[in-house]
Amino acid sequence: MASVTKERVLFVIFGVPMVTCLLVFFWIVFVLSTGIGTLRWDLLTTSVLQGGIFEMIIGTVYLLLGAAGIAGPVGVLAAVYLVEYAPRGKFTRIIDQAINNLAGVPSIVIGLFGYTFFCRQLGLGISLAAGWLTLTLMMLPIVIRGTEEAIKLVPASFKEAALALGTTKWKATSSMTISSAAPGIITSIMLGVARVAGETAAILFTSCVLVTRGLPKSPFEPVMALAYNLFVKIVALGESPDEVFGIALVLFFIVAFFATAAISLRIHYRRRQPWLR
Amino acid sequence: MAEVDIRKLNTWFKDNHVLKDLSLTIKENAVTAVMGPSGCGKTTLIRAINRMNEIISGSRTTGEVYINGINIYDENTNVYELRRKVGMVFQRPNPFPKSVFENVAFGPKIHKMANGKEIDKIVERSLKEAALWEEIKDRLNDSAFSLSGGQQQRLCIARALAVEPEVVLMDEPCSALDPTATTKIEALIREIGEKYTVIIVTHNLQQAARVSDFTAFLYVGKLVEYGDTKSVFENPKSELTEKYITGEFG
Repeated sequence: MASVTKERVLFVIFGVPMVTCLLVFFWIVFVLSTGIGTLRWDLLTTSVLQGGIFEMIIGTVYLLLGAAGIAGPVGVLAAVYLVEYAPRGKFTRIIDQAINNLAGVPSIVIGLFGYTFFCRQLGLGISLAAGWLTLTLMMLPIVIRGTEEAIKLVPASFKEAALALGTTKWKATSSMTISSAAPGIITSIMLGVARVAGETAAILFTSCVLVTRGLPKSPFEPVMALAYNLFVKIVALGESPDEVFGIALVLFFIVAFFATAAISLRIHYRRRQPWLR
Repeated sequence: MAEVDIRKLNTWFKDNHVLKDLSLTIKENAVTAVMGPSGCGKTTLIRAINRMNEIISGSRTTGEVYINGINIYDENTNVYELRRKVGMVFQRPNPFPKSVFENVAFGPKIHKMANGKEIDKIVERSLKEAALWEEIKDRLNDSAFSLSGGQQQRLCIARALAVEPEVVLMDEPCSALDPTATTKIEALIREIGEKYTVIIVTHNLQQAARVSDFTAFLYVGKLVEYGDTKSVFENPKSELTEKYITGEFG
């Protein structure tokens, strides 16, 4: 009988978080239903100057693709170096800890750093490029940690067999370790993108303006972004939250798109990697 | 097709002195078995012949290993070329996560030994040498992981033979396989031994007796006995070897 009681207690303990998840689910449904009411689909392709949000969507996508384009390669190479090449010692441990710390820095602080360093010091001004670099700082820890985990999952025997055939260390690493870890690496980049997709503070004073005339023509021009406009519309312009729910919804779909893409890629590749099972 | 002459070989992993002043000459085109109890340095010995111990941090080696009269520990030795000449088969089948064809073609492609149609020929030749061609010639594009354990190990042997090695090292190649697969691999080892210098580490005394022409017995990093397999098993010179063979320890 005692074990039955124990089962029931455990059921409740494990059930509570489940209920919390359900609440979050209902909250998402609430945002969706409120947003859909205010969202007119033609606004998605209408310029901001005519009251649409086209430049915000494209600006957000530009920011994300650029940041992924920088943080992806840099993060992957950093992770490969840390796992495969870095000597185990004090220096490596300091770098390791620095990466952990970077993940914990509040985005507003990263934004402030981006403004003083990229915008002022490097003279990039309020621009797409400054936004890319600032978002890169936020993505890097996620990409590096995710890639490291993916690389560590690859059986060492692949690399050993390649080395025994007379390949160089880099060839063994790139042809075996990195290509086998590719699905995990792609997933971690996608997660990094999802992490910064809704980021406001980091682009607040590095790359965004409220209105632009058309899309930026070079990386050195400022850009519009959904999250930033959402923030400004409520805080500075005092628009009622109801009206900006539409923007929130579009942002939600962009984040959801990247997250879904990441998950389906992982499922797709896992099927092709029997050694992970 | 190469004689392997080991002279005063010492290997350390950090403070652990694994191989102690080991000297032996391994005959070409024959199968030499290296046996001994766990931890005696068998694996370290064969991994010294393709310098694979070097990839483990904290390892250190002194002494010389001559293959065809050239010291592979000489600073002018190209370690990548050395590993092409000295192939290796591991304890567990470890095919690459690629197709059967790509597994065998990997080495020849890396070493730019051939291209196009010639690669196809190398793959066919290697799979035939590994007694695998007939079984899987219609499955060359399947994942290597779809093969059985014994087939995977023969695929690994084919992969090693594809780069035209002179010496083939085998580290307990049957320890992860069932008896039927083991029988096939043992027959294969005998066959390969006629064309290549094969050095096989084994725990299994019967296996050493069945497949090898020569046997070396190692104990705590030292060479205790070395000779043709028949005399090592029938008239061991050392008491230690006799005790090991009769199962008194090991």
